[in-house]
Amino acid sequence: MLMRRSIQVNGAATVVSGSPDSSAPLVFLSGGIPGITPYCSGPHLWGQSLDALAGERNVLAFDLCSGAGVPHADLGIDALLSHVRATLAALEVARCHMVAHDLAGLIALLLAVESPTLICGVSVVSSTAAAPTGDGVENLSFAHPPPPPWSQAAQRWALEQVSYSHQHIDSALVDACVAAAAGDAQRSAAAAMAAGALAATFMPSLHNAKGRLYEVCRGAGVPVPVQIICGTHDPLGTLEQGLALYQIIAARQPVTQFHALNRAGSLPFREQPAAFLQVVTAFGEIVFPG
Amino acid sequence: MPMPAARTIDVDGIGTRYYEAGCGETIVFIYGGSFGTSDSASSAHTWNLNLLPLASRFRVIAFDKIGQGFTDNPGDDDYTMAAVVRHAGAFLRALQLPPVHLVGHSRGGYAAARLTLAHHDLVRSLTLVNSGTLSPGVGTNEVVLARPPFPKGSAECVRWVYRNYSFNPAAVTDAWVAAVLEVLALPKYRESIERVEGARLGATLFLPALAREKRETLQWINEGRLQRPVQIIWGSEDRTAILQRGLDLFHLLARHDRRVQFHAFGQAGHFPFREHPARFNALLGRFVAAHAA
Repeated sequence: MLMRRSIQVNGAATVVSGSPDSSAPLVFLSGGIPGITPYCSGPHLWGQSLDALAGERNVLAFDLCSGAGVPHADLGIDALLSHVRATLAALEVARCHMVAHDLAGLIALLLAVESPTLICGVSVVSSTAAAPTGDGVENLSFAHPPPPPWSQAAQRWALEQVSYSHQHIDSALVDACVAAAAGDAQRSAAAAMAAGALAATFMPSLHNAKGRLYEVCRGAGVPVPVQIICGTHDPLGTLEQGLALYQIIAARQPVTQFHALNRAGSLPFREQPAAFLQVVTAFGEIVFPG
Repeated sequence: MPMPAARTIDVDGIGTRYYEAGCGETIVFIYGGSFGTSDSASSAHTWNLNLLPLASRFRVIAFDKIGQGFTDNPGDDDYTMAAVVRHAGAFLRALQLPPVHLVGHSRGGYAAARLTLAHHDLVRSLTLVNSGTLSPGVGTNEVVLARPPFPKGSAECVRWVYRNYSFNPAAVTDAWVAAVLEVLALPKYRESIERVEGARLGATLFLPALAREKRETLQWINEGRLQRPVQIIWGSEDRTAILQRGLDLFHLLARHDRRVQFHAFGQAGHFPFREHPARFNALLGRFVAAHAA
């Protein structure tokens, strides 16, 4: 049975969901850009995956951002990376297989590069943030959400925008997203982003972080096994972007896999949970046998 | 890694060699290649890195296709893919198997898909591995493997062929080469070479008939007739069946069934189940468990 608990990380309360025993866990890291993505992410987003996997091994789930009064400087990739690192330390995680969604995919890869003894494998899920974009065209998926932001209507709309089908979006999910949006961390991040942190801090740091990752991929390579999991109908990024990320990493890392899950958008773990569990558990058998 | 003990069963008059181990959901493996080739020769040994590891959880069966390995040659010079598919279906019925999880590699992937299309009652799920024969698009076998620079039938030739199939040359072990040479030396296999290459049945019968039937098979798939869960596993560095061909096959199948998945393995060529057997076995095992009876 998964528990929800609050721990102190760098003086701020961070909510963690997971097994009572947090040793040798499968760590789920939620994505979305704090204060920007119009659905509010968190452990609730993983749906039945956490409970299903908890039957096999310990699981932990938390998100990228925590704490009230987030300053501009803390909404860059390095600060988010630092938060993840500190949360794992607070949980006394010595080694884990990390499953990271969206922006968290990039964070997890960077963490694996700096701490390959801590991160023994990364499952990157629907991460346009980690994938190369080149001179891509503007993505309009979230261009005109219904007001007010992070209301039930707005978050339901945003979840539908990134899904192949709306069938997985129920009241429980939307309510959990609304509750997450009311939290100090989300409200504080939204205020900071609205005040200019997106352009001043986040975007330059994202650009810089991707460059760092690709430099590693070009050189020594990502030091741990990686798999890239994509939905075939992700409105936020193409299958080709996922394949490009796979090929960049596979050039140096011998244990690299790519998986396309059919009829799924940005949340394949919700739309195709059985297939998602299959690829995560099969990879786990190799990189972090329980 | 050793194979399970060999057994033989009569399948419509064809003495058929097969290997079986374990219990549980039944997985049947169909390897690639064709009868009557003198530069290489496939047999059930191709799956030796997969059978026993999976047998701890499943009932696993690999058989020699008609005219290949230690199974008898077809009668009446019926060196066709249709005969391969007929024999495979008859083998499943002869063993009175429940609906099985078919795993087909390369030309075996085509046979597995065609068998499913013809006998849905025999098949529970389908795993297709680097099957250029089934995929739409242009194959490059004939380019990559054209005219080996060693005498046909020699160990050097066999090693050259499989190294060109593979990403890592070290994956082509002496044991694998020895298993191929053993088949190449069988009198009945020498006879198939005489018919397929010497009498040119490969060029005048096998390939034209396969081309006709492949058009029909792709048309059936395009009509959504497969109707079984499918996963495609592809070695990304396969130069004979490039990654894009696997993706094209995936998109063709994915239009009709949500239970279609595509998986690519990095640093793997045409035989990902031999170059990365642990990863392949893990993925296959989880897929079979997810689609168990």
